[in-house]
Amino acid sequence: MSWELHNVAIIGGGMMGRSIATKVAQEGLNVCLKEVSNEAVDASRAELEQSLDHEIARFGLTNSEKKAILSRIRWVTQFDCAADCDIAIETVQEDFGLKRRILRELDRRMVEDHPIVINTSTLSITELASQNSCPERIVGMHFLYPVTTTRVVEVVRGQLTTDSVYDRAVEFARLLGKVPIKVFEMPGFVTTRVILPLVNEAMHTVMEGVAEAADVDLAIKLGFNFTMGPLEWADRTGLDRVLNWMKHLHSESGEPRFRPCPMLKRLVRAGLHGAKTGQGFFAYDANRRRTDRLPDDKPRLA
Amino acid sequence: MKILVLNSGSSSVKFQVIETDLERMNAHDDRTLATGQVEKIGMDDSRLVLKVPGRDPYSDYREILEHRGAIEWVLRILADDEVGILDDVTDVDAVGHRVVHGGESFASSVIITPEVVHEIEECSVLAPLHNPPNLRGYYAAHSALPDVPHVAVFDTAFHQTMPAHSFLYGIPFQLYTKHAIRKYGFHGTSHRYVAFRGSQILSWDKDEKKLITVHLGNGCSLAAIDRGKSVDTSMGFTPLEGLLMGTRTGDMDPAIVPWLMAMEEMTLHQVNTMMNKHSGLYGVSGVSSDMRELVEARAGGHQRADVAFRMFCYRVKKYIGAYAAAMGGVDAVFFTGGIGENSPEVREWALEGLEYMGIEIDQPINDSLKGGEGEISTDGSRVKVLVVPTNEEKTIARDVVRVLNNIMPTWEPPETVSP
Repeated sequence: MSWELHNVAIIGGGMMGRSIATKVAQEGLNVCLKEVSNEAVDASRAELEQSLDHEIARFGLTNSEKKAILSRIRWVTQFDCAADCDIAIETVQEDFGLKRRILRELDRRMVEDHPIVINTSTLSITELASQNSCPERIVGMHFLYPVTTTRVVEVVRGQLTTDSVYDRAVEFARLLGKVPIKVFEMPGFVTTRVILPLVNEAMHTVMEGVAEAADVDLAIKLGFNFTMGPLEWADRTGLDRVLNWMKHLHSESGEPRFRPCPMLKRLVRAGLHGAKTGQGFFAYDANRRRTDRLPDDKPRLA
Repeated sequence: MKILVLNSGSSSVKFQVIETDLERMNAHDDRTLATGQVEKIGMDDSRLVLKVPGRDPYSDYREILEHRGAIEWVLRILADDEVGILDDVTDVDAVGHRVVHGGESFASSVIITPEVVHEIEECSVLAPLHNPPNLRGYYAAHSALPDVPHVAVFDTAFHQTMPAHSFLYGIPFQLYTKHAIRKYGFHGTSHRYVAFRGSQILSWDKDEKKLITVHLGNGCSLAAIDRGKSVDTSMGFTPLEGLLMGTRTGDMDPAIVPWLMAMEEMTLHQVNTMMNKHSGLYGVSGVSSDMRELVEARAGGHQRADVAFRMFCYRVKKYIGAYAAAMGGVDAVFFTGGIGENSPEVREWALEGLEYMGIEIDQPINDSLKGGEGEISTDGSRVKVLVVPTNEEKTIARDVVRVLNNIMPTWEPPETVSP
């Protein structure tokens, strides 16, 4: 049966869901974005518009492009919209039970061989899929934030994912202008598995008093041409999320290299979750701009 | 003969059916039988509009997922008993396709063969947003009308006669050989038509004259046409160079780009969008990219609208001076495009103070000429100034006739420079 990609269901209007929705709409596809309530819909829509306005202020988008993007996104509170979608992506938090429930709802409504995508960086696609009536149509895609500019997406094959479903997920990634990295299921895949120990090590370096957090970040950022240092990356990702991933990788693999740095645990326990709470390793204003930028970190020509 | 002219964009197909042949061309008696377009290809509410002179416009909606469907729809409507203009689709004698970029491969219009398709594909790297949909339009039309000739007419072809000293940039030569980075110029079909038609109005042999054609529309460019050949043009490697435009910067110091990327930490995408969509009349004035609105705001005392307007006209003037110098004089200046045809203010400001080089405008005539064809210089003006509404579709249809009759002007092969 032929499969064409026009309508995309996205479950969850959080940061990742909005970012994927924006990218998908930008590429001319229709999106239905599901949130849990009308209030959540309003909040999600407001946040999405705000991020589009921010991009307009940065000259990356025009007002008419913003209008076109918004016109392709339909906000809903029910799963029914998935029935006429060619692919569905869940983007809710890394909660096994919640994701499993969503998969069931989607599975019940969507045409048989249309892919259902789990967006996860650590959970097992196979385990989530195995409790579903058609596990072979479930595939993982690990999008990296912000989806509008990050050029890579990991496409994750579960034990039971069929070739045709997997190929459709790869095709979807290409249509979004992304480079698909084909990975087999393993906690952390490539990106999360490699970046987390780096971030964890940066935290240990601070904790052991080798250097100030800002200097650790500057050294890595300028030394390896990263766009930001590992600690700022952790702050922006959310220290609570980083800690959850670390714990999960640690318990899945049993490897001591994934043991979360005690300093990370301490910050999270204190409610200092990074940019979204205004304080993590660094301080941030309401627009999530760092308030402590060092003179050495100013851009310069040549 | 009846010629279908197609301009296929990424999500639209514009079409015209034009009746013309050698006799009609010479008598300037080409007839446009129908015009129209299909918009929003790839959506479930694609729209077709058909306009036939003397009838009410016809429009319809349906789901059209790709160019093939759009062109089949166009042909079906053209041959429709009620709203169409053809008895049968086989009445179409030939198809002319607009192709944006012909690179260094095409200096004139050609019949499309598999080799030509291959060359156009090769040029896609230079026009990634335009050549691929142009080709999709061709494939679709060719499968619907496989037995008639299809002709490609390139935006860049006319400017292939530029000499190397005007088309090369002052960057390391190996970047030209490796990436074909050079000035190509655009709007070639329009510049060529306007030069031809303007000379016809003046009963001149264009192959004896020095002309400057000024295309001021959404995009803006000038061409210096020395005895029938384009010797310079203001757009360059891309349509961003040259004049100030609605939302495009035109000329600026290229060092601004890396400076902004460093200081504002702008990404490649942001800086590109800034220069193409946030700049020009719109970016400077903060009011509008539309010249009519700008002229109004300026009359109301809006300072930034005023300076944007003056920048726009000033650059046109600068290029006219430059091209007169480049050709060692100028016999006529022809204005065209939405702004060139409809804005007496812009024409007046752009030519103001050029009496020393023989350009004198008849103020009342200039003020009254909006949207038509005519001369706006004084009887005594040494340089003739005309307004000539452009017609790219007609030029494409005429090129089809020329190619099929083997009378496509063949310019000498473009100059090549070897390392």
